Amino acid sequence: MKKLSGWSGRALLCFLLGASLTPLAVGLLSTMMLPAEAQALGSLWAGSLHVVTPAMAEAFGSAGLAALVQSLLGGLFGAVVAVSTLPFADGGRELVVRSLAHFCATALSFSALLWVCRWLDDPRFIPLWVALLALLYALIWLGRWVGWYVEVMQLRTLLGLDPGPTPLKWRETLPYLPFVLLVCDLLPLVFRWVDRTFVVDVPVLSGLILPYLLLPVAGFCSGVSLGKRQGVCPLYPLACFVCYMPMVWLLFNGSALFHCFMVAIPALMGNVLGWLYRRAVPKKGNV
Amino acid sequence: MKVKLEIEPGRQEPEIIILAGAESAELDRLVQELSGLALDPIPVWRGDQTRRLPQGDFLRFFADGKGVSAQTAEEVYAVRLRLYELEERLDPRRFVRISNSEIVNLEMVTALDLSLTGTIRMTLNGTVTVYVSRRYVKKIKETLNLGRRERT
Repeated sequence: MKKLSGWSGRALLCFLLGASLTPLAVGLLSTMMLPAEAQALGSLWAGSLHVVTPAMAEAFGSAGLAALVQSLLGGLFGAVVAVSTLPFADGGRELVVRSLAHFCATALSFSALLWVCRWLDDPRFIPLWVALLALLYALIWLGRWVGWYVEVMQLRTLLGLDPGPTPLKWRETLPYLPFVLLVCDLLPLVFRWVDRTFVVDVPVLSGLILPYLLLPVAGFCSGVSLGKRQGVCPLYPLACFVCYMPMVWLLFNGSALFHCFMVAIPALMGNVLGWLYRRAVPKKGNV
Repeated sequence: MKVKLEIEPGRQEPEIIILAGAESAELDRLVQELSGLALDPIPVWRGDQTRRLPQGDFLRFFADGKGVSAQTAEEVYAVRLRLYELEERLDPRRFVRISNSEIVNLEMVTALDLSLTGTIRMTLNGTVTVYVSRRYVKKIKETLNLGRRERT
């Protein structure tokens, strides 16, 4: 009960903070970012501070009512953010259900702020912002998980057990990094150079052989090898993607971004397949 | 080190007194070991029969809705004590509460895993699986640190 009142108090405080900071933020952003004709109409609380967008004031009929609604929505968003660590208090199914519920509440209040307050011109952009919010959520979840994992490693050490793999198996993935650099960075550079020496205009090696054959095969085979040795290593496909990214801009252009997926997706598939093989046919030392 | 046994007719409980010239780590360890041996065995029930088992035999004590049960490597027994009463009687360097309804013997832990949803799964004696509430992780660490400090 005491804990609940603590959370209620925090939610109330953040509601007040959100309610008071939202108009200030809108005022600052509208003077900095919006074109002159789109700047806020109302300047309710201070002579030079605009608190709502003109579109919102127009939709509500009065700047005062619009400012009130915006503050309420800002307060609601603040209150929802205030209880964002509450789902992490438990574990298992409760954690998943509470996190999903909290994400829905956050996405809803955030979308309401974006649309009801007319911060966006086009509602079609709302899913994009919600996707960014989901990404932020995933990052926070990952951060929490790594924290818990480090705690479990400490407990294992204190109990005299094997501390187990590193978080997300980053250290176990490291030995494969030179291979990734070789395939994703050195090979494209060499192929591009070789292509330039050819008489024909089509970059056969860097534009065809590399993305459609070598990248998928190398990604898949190395993924299988890593999966067989270390199990699922989620950072490996990511490393493939990130390592190839500079080549896209250095040797090609934005249209070659799919090359990154041509190595990352087979790497992920190979890694999962290797892990499944490892589970099906356990070796001595793997069990 | 000299070991001397004196029999005192009429004495209810054995008493161990160590005589030494100065404190030392070895002496502390000996005191700890003897204190551990001196811990009360726990009375357990199976039907109408009762037994007193040494603390080191237990894997865990858990509330199962009807009351409290105790699990050893072979059997599950009923215990006529509450968990908080058990906590007071058990060796604090060896037994720790891992959730509202469970106390485990840390010396029996053979594996510890974390799921994606943050659930900590503890395996006792290679066979029994229990779940650790994250609210108790700090206490477990304190207990383990205490045990380690006392061992070194």
